[in-house]
Amino acid sequence: MDWKRFGFIALVVIVLFSAVVMIGQVKQPPLLIVTSMLATTIAVATPLTLGALSGVYCERAGVVNIGIEGMMLSSAFFGWLGSIYMFHIFKMSAGLSIALGVFFAILTGLLMALLHAVLSITFKVDQIIGGTVINILAVGLTGFLNRQLFFGKESVFGGSVPSSPGVLPTIHIPLTEIVGPICGASASCLENLTAINRVFDQKPIAMGAVLLVFFSHFLLFNTRWGLRTRAVGEHPKAADTVGISVTKMRYANVLIGGMFAGLAGAYFTIESVPSFEPLLTNGRGFISLAAMIFGNWTPIGAWAAALVFGASQAMLINMQIFRDVIPPQWAFLQESYIVGLTPYILTMFILTGIIGRTTPPAADGVPYEK
Amino acid sequence: MKKLYVFMALLVVASMALSACGGGAPTAEDCSKEDVFCVGLVTDVGKVNDKSFNQSAWEGVQQAQAEGNADVVQFIETADAKDYAKNIAQFGDAGYDVIVTVGFGLGEATNAAAATYPNVRFIGVDQFNAETVAGVSGLNFPEDNAGFLVGALAAAMSESHKIGAVCGTDVVPPVWRFGEGYKAGAAYADGMNGTTTEVFVVYHSDVGFDKTFTDPEWGATTAKSMMDQGADAIFGCGGLTGNGAVSAAAQAGKYGIGVDKDQYFELTDAAPRMLSSAIKLITPGVAKLIAAAKAGTLEDGNVFGDAGYAPYHDLDSSVPDEGKKMMEELNKGLLDGSIKTNVPPVKP
Amino acid sequence: MQSEKQSGSLTRQILQSISEASLVPFLAILTAVIVGGIVILFVGGDPILAYRGLLQGSFGSTKALSETAIWATPYIFAGLAVALAFKGGLFNIGAEGQLAVGAVVSALIGYALPEWLGFDVPAIIHLPLVVVFGVIMGGVWAGIVGALKAYTGGHEVINTIMMNYIALNTTSFLLNGVMKDRSPTNVIARTPLIADSARIPPIFEGLRVHWGFVLALLTAFFIWWLLTKTTLGFQIRTVGLNPDAAKYAGINVKRIVILTMALSGMLAGLAGVIEVSGLNYRHELGFSIGYGYDAIAIALLGKSHPLGVVLAAILFAAMRNGATRMQFLTQMPVDLISMLQAFILLFVAADAIIRYIYRIKSKGERVVLTRGWGG
Repeated sequence: MDWKRFGFIALVVIVLFSAVVMIGQVKQPPLLIVTSMLATTIAVATPLTLGALSGVYCERAGVVNIGIEGMMLSSAFFGWLGSIYMFHIFKMSAGLSIALGVFFAILTGLLMALLHAVLSITFKVDQIIGGTVINILAVGLTGFLNRQLFFGKESVFGGSVPSSPGVLPTIHIPLTEIVGPICGASASCLENLTAINRVFDQKPIAMGAVLLVFFSHFLLFNTRWGLRTRAVGEHPKAADTVGISVTKMRYANVLIGGMFAGLAGAYFTIESVPSFEPLLTNGRGFISLAAMIFGNWTPIGAWAAALVFGASQAMLINMQIFRDVIPPQWAFLQESYIVGLTPYILTMFILTGIIGRTTPPAADGVPYEK
Repeated sequence: MKKLYVFMALLVVASMALSACGGGAPTAEDCSKEDVFCVGLVTDVGKVNDKSFNQSAWEGVQQAQAEGNADVVQFIETADAKDYAKNIAQFGDAGYDVIVTVGFGLGEATNAAAATYPNVRFIGVDQFNAETVAGVSGLNFPEDNAGFLVGALAAAMSESHKIGAVCGTDVVPPVWRFGEGYKAGAAYADGMNGTTTEVFVVYHSDVGFDKTFTDPEWGATTAKSMMDQGADAIFGCGGLTGNGAVSAAAQAGKYGIGVDKDQYFELTDAAPRMLSSAIKLITPGVAKLIAAAKAGTLEDGNVFGDAGYAPYHDLDSSVPDEGKKMMEELNKGLLDGSIKTNVPPVKP
Repeated sequence: MQSEKQSGSLTRQILQSISEASLVPFLAILTAVIVGGIVILFVGGDPILAYRGLLQGSFGSTKALSETAIWATPYIFAGLAVALAFKGGLFNIGAEGQLAVGAVVSALIGYALPEWLGFDVPAIIHLPLVVVFGVIMGGVWAGIVGALKAYTGGHEVINTIMMNYIALNTTSFLLNGVMKDRSPTNVIARTPLIADSARIPPIFEGLRVHWGFVLALLTAFFIWWLLTKTTLGFQIRTVGLNPDAAKYAGINVKRIVILTMALSGMLAGLAGVIEVSGLNYRHELGFSIGYGYDAIAIALLGKSHPLGVVLAAILFAAMRNGATRMQFLTQMPVDLISMLQAFILLFVAADAIIRYIYRIKSKGERVVLTRGWGG
């Protein structure tokens, strides 16, 4: 474990939060601000975490994946499309349609990853190409279908976008109910407890993302599968000589990575907002890529990096909410363009090696030739 | 090599078909004739099904066609700002009679094209020209009035006395007018009802221009953040970003307020929790101007379209009678000028 | 007695190698067109009309040709930028940001220099200043990343992505603030028009194509010369192929990394400069939608060779430009073009697939384009 890195990240998050609390406390109780920011942080970090995990699997096995953006975008589209097709054409129940939507999103991620794998592993094409193809293809395909399928009177849905079956439900963690009795009659205590509870009440993909971080960490660093994955990513020749199939391991991991990106896509259209818009991923795939490298190709590191981006976004939103109470000596905080620079400058700063260098897997990006 | 020959043969066939099709007659070719009235639409960077102003304008063009005021209608979607002039020229060269350009971004290209094509009537949606340009009619809307109305409504309906607005970038004047109008409306309602309402307005100005209106996920996250801090009515102003906010509000069981058109019919998932929408009637506005152009009565200069608020639909029973009365009075006051929003047309 | 036969076969060999070199890309584009056509058919469109529109719109008239050249100009510069970095073993995802800062600075010099000096600057001084400052800014923007890479090991991929966002926010800040055109008719985040003396003139009267296109072609030639005929080019390529070997060969690897990145940034900056000075005459927010990302595809399509980049840029430009006519004729969305481009990139860059489909034997060694994350 890289405690220096995590210590620094924790420090950054604390600074970001305290800045907002300092300014916003005249308007809102600090606890409310902190819990609200935490909820935002987790929400923003979810697709970034899953995207970064996608990258971790691919690259630990030695395949560079810059196509995360495209995988997310296409999964978001086809997951959403699948759910409305199930709902309106096949007349399934809303719950089943939504569940199948998630399935279609993951399937799309898998298929996109398969394209990448065939190109990079079987045809040994430069790995950047596979990713770039996926990115461009996703923009074209989703934009094209989104226009053609819902446009014109003779199209499937008669020229309008049909209503989506809805989004995944929030799962309530009964914290208030369990701990509540301690508060007794104190109303403010109960109020605070409800606020804290809200941080834990997340939707399935957001919760799943956190679990998957630890699962992936365990898988990569504590199992035979993980050892083999890392072996083909570091020394494919050596792995081959001891009887590990480099091709199979790489295929498997790239496909797993694709499924993670697919889940990230499902977050946008099936968990967060039940509609698709062209280019809705807005570069988050590239931020995921950055989070992966920032986290030194480890699941937990990538998650921590994603949380930094989430926390910065939370600060940005709250700075605008508290815009009119920003003291004059901090006036620059009103400029959202300037405040918006925070995560990017931080990332570059962190990468200077102050908290340790990042090292990619040795055979990352190198096609394996026997 | 066998496959190669098959594809070579295919190529030959394809190229022959290409040349053979040269005489094919797209309807647009009739536009140079005098008796065929053609209307072309050039979108701002965006699509004609963007659930926002491009779509509204295109529906206006289609409405004009349905009403018999246009024979041929067609659109070109702009992919890059440097194509504005070229896309307009595509219609101009084909002899179109009216060209609708959507968005303030096309203002300059529209004015330039008006000089190149003196026989074409130009309708610029959301284009305000300080000086009248020959051949160009700018269709503008008092967005601050619409924002004012829903702001007052939100403030009157809020139980926590905290309301929010999630908007696209404030660099775009109509968006800014919506947002500032919302604040002014809430303050006005406070004055009437003796309440103090806290208004959170967040503009999505921290990203590139091409992303500010197309980020529903950010809109939803921002709305949630506001609701976590107690807001119970969210106004989504700014394309798809705002739609995300309204959707998040509805999911949380709070009030959502739409923008541009009556979004009750568009944001179907949020419809049951939609209080109203701040509307600017682009569709009928465009259709009306095309009809005037056909009749030859369209004049140069700025035209103001209607703005207002949408019906309460599903929530009709939860809005108290005095609230409805207040809204009617405010709307009347804004129309006759006895109430002013005091929002300048452009962010100072 | 062999010499005669040899010279005869040499000509044949050259001809053969040219036809072979163009055969695969040709088949690749053909395959992409066919696959694209199938997609159009699938959604009920008319592929032949669509392709006819595409051809007419891109090459069908002098005006169309001029517009294609206009589209190609920034593509060539940005494509060269990415390609040069690839040659040096670096992956520059940041052309987008470098382009933006180049454009902002050149616009600033373009409109503000006469104001600062208080008199009109002659074009012979003004225009070069506009170009030079824009180029330098692009170079510095990327050079920072190069220096971070050389001295701290900070990864250029993340850093260029981060610098993209920083460039975007900073330009937005400037264009909404101090650099905004304050004339009462303007409501948009854009700079005032640059002075006449800062503008690159059009080549022909009445067409928009300007001398920037010629400059782009000359630059491509210069980059080819730099890479193949100079010591610096050799050093860049050596570092790109194997930095360790380069170090043992006595090359100052750090210096070359910084220099490669800076040169790459200068080329990208130049793309921005030319757009401002030759076409838009001002910088406006949102004027570049993804040139930097298209540039990666162009560099890959051109196999990082300057001539290849020029051809790939013209191909992409023709498609983007022809899209207007295609839309006019068929009302097909522009996204079709992105899809076609993806197919073309897929089949051209991944020529193994084309060789597999058409059973063409591969000969010659694999061209190393990128080295993954470099390390």
